[in-house]
Amino acid sequence: MSKTKKVDPAAAPWQGPWRKYDILKEGVIALIVVALLSVGLAGVFSSPDEKALTFQGWATSAPDNFFATTVGELAGTTESAGYGPPYNEGGDGVSVGPLNMQKLMGVRNPVNPADDFVITPLSSSQQSQETVDALKAWKDASADQQAAWATAFDDAVQATADEEGVLDLTKVEEGDYGPVPVLAKALTDMATSGAYDGVLLAQDPNGFYQMDHTKQILFMGDGSYLDDFGTVQNLQGNTWGMMNETGSYPGQAWLWLYSFWYQLPVFNAPDDADPASMTAQLSGSADALIFYIMGLLTILLVLLPFIPGVRSIPKWIPLHKLIWRDYYRSIRG
Amino acid sequence: MPPLISAALDNPATYFSWGWLQISVGNLIVILVMFVLFILALVLPFPGGHDDGGDGS
Repeated sequence: MSKTKKVDPAAAPWQGPWRKYDILKEGVIALIVVALLSVGLAGVFSSPDEKALTFQGWATSAPDNFFATTVGELAGTTESAGYGPPYNEGGDGVSVGPLNMQKLMGVRNPVNPADDFVITPLSSSQQSQETVDALKAWKDASADQQAAWATAFDDAVQATADEEGVLDLTKVEEGDYGPVPVLAKALTDMATSGAYDGVLLAQDPNGFYQMDHTKQILFMGDGSYLDDFGTVQNLQGNTWGMMNETGSYPGQAWLWLYSFWYQLPVFNAPDDADPASMTAQLSGSADALIFYIMGLLTILLVLLPFIPGVRSIPKWIPLHKLIWRDYYRSIRG
Repeated sequence: MPPLISAALDNPATYFSWGWLQISVGNLIVILVMFVLFILALVLPFPGGHDDGGDGS
């Protein structure tokens, strides 16, 4: 019985010409060239040097917004308070169908906006007698009482907004707001003086180097200061901001595909869209959906050699024959 | 010279917009340079000339 064996052409010994090649030499040359270019270009162009945003800057340039955001933190109506995991149980987080990775991961980095952003910082430094009394009244009150005071004052503050959303704190109606107005005013004064910057960092009990800026970013993100800066610098997600850098420096151009999805109307619903509409719901879960879309595309990229049709692109567009044209010319001739 | 360049780069960027597409001049330059380098890598001959006959066989 004869046995026929298929010969794999790729396994056949190389019959063509050989040449010596020093990969270490090429690697060293590439390393030196890239290092010289990096140091040289950094010397010429420097790097983005935008001054850090501070709470002092926020409270000085937009004191009403800082005040109203502080009230929102006490009332639990800010984005941080309702974010959900990994910071708190204030919301469910984004999900795709039944899959909610935020909930699955749980609260890993607990943040209580009212305590962490307002009460603890005020308690950690010397305050006027009025503020000390307000802090005592807040701490002695039940959670329900605290919520009732803060929510009532938050509603009263937000009710002063004009058509463009600009608040006028002189028009806040009288009411039973407990210590909330005094606490919000004290925190605004503390931030205006510059004393608040650094206080949130100092709360990290484990951080010798204190590099965890989570709380600062969450609090600042609840107000308009950080958001307005992002808009001015073209860093908003719905204007390709993921690709951009501050100033005129080139940014992360390689994130064009990730950024592209955020420009689609289905992931970019206007703020006044009906919350029950499909677009608003998809936009609400855009971060999770786009994460999975990019994951799927990455898997397809990895599996490229196994996908019929796509793997044949080099046959239709034979760029490799242009690169190794001498070889292909020689085998043709 | 470098401080002048970096000071200029700290100014707000110029953006090109075509409908929903928006790109900064800086990013556009980087993408065009990458594109030019890719074309050059395709068309420039390998260093060392055309020694298809092999010199180490």
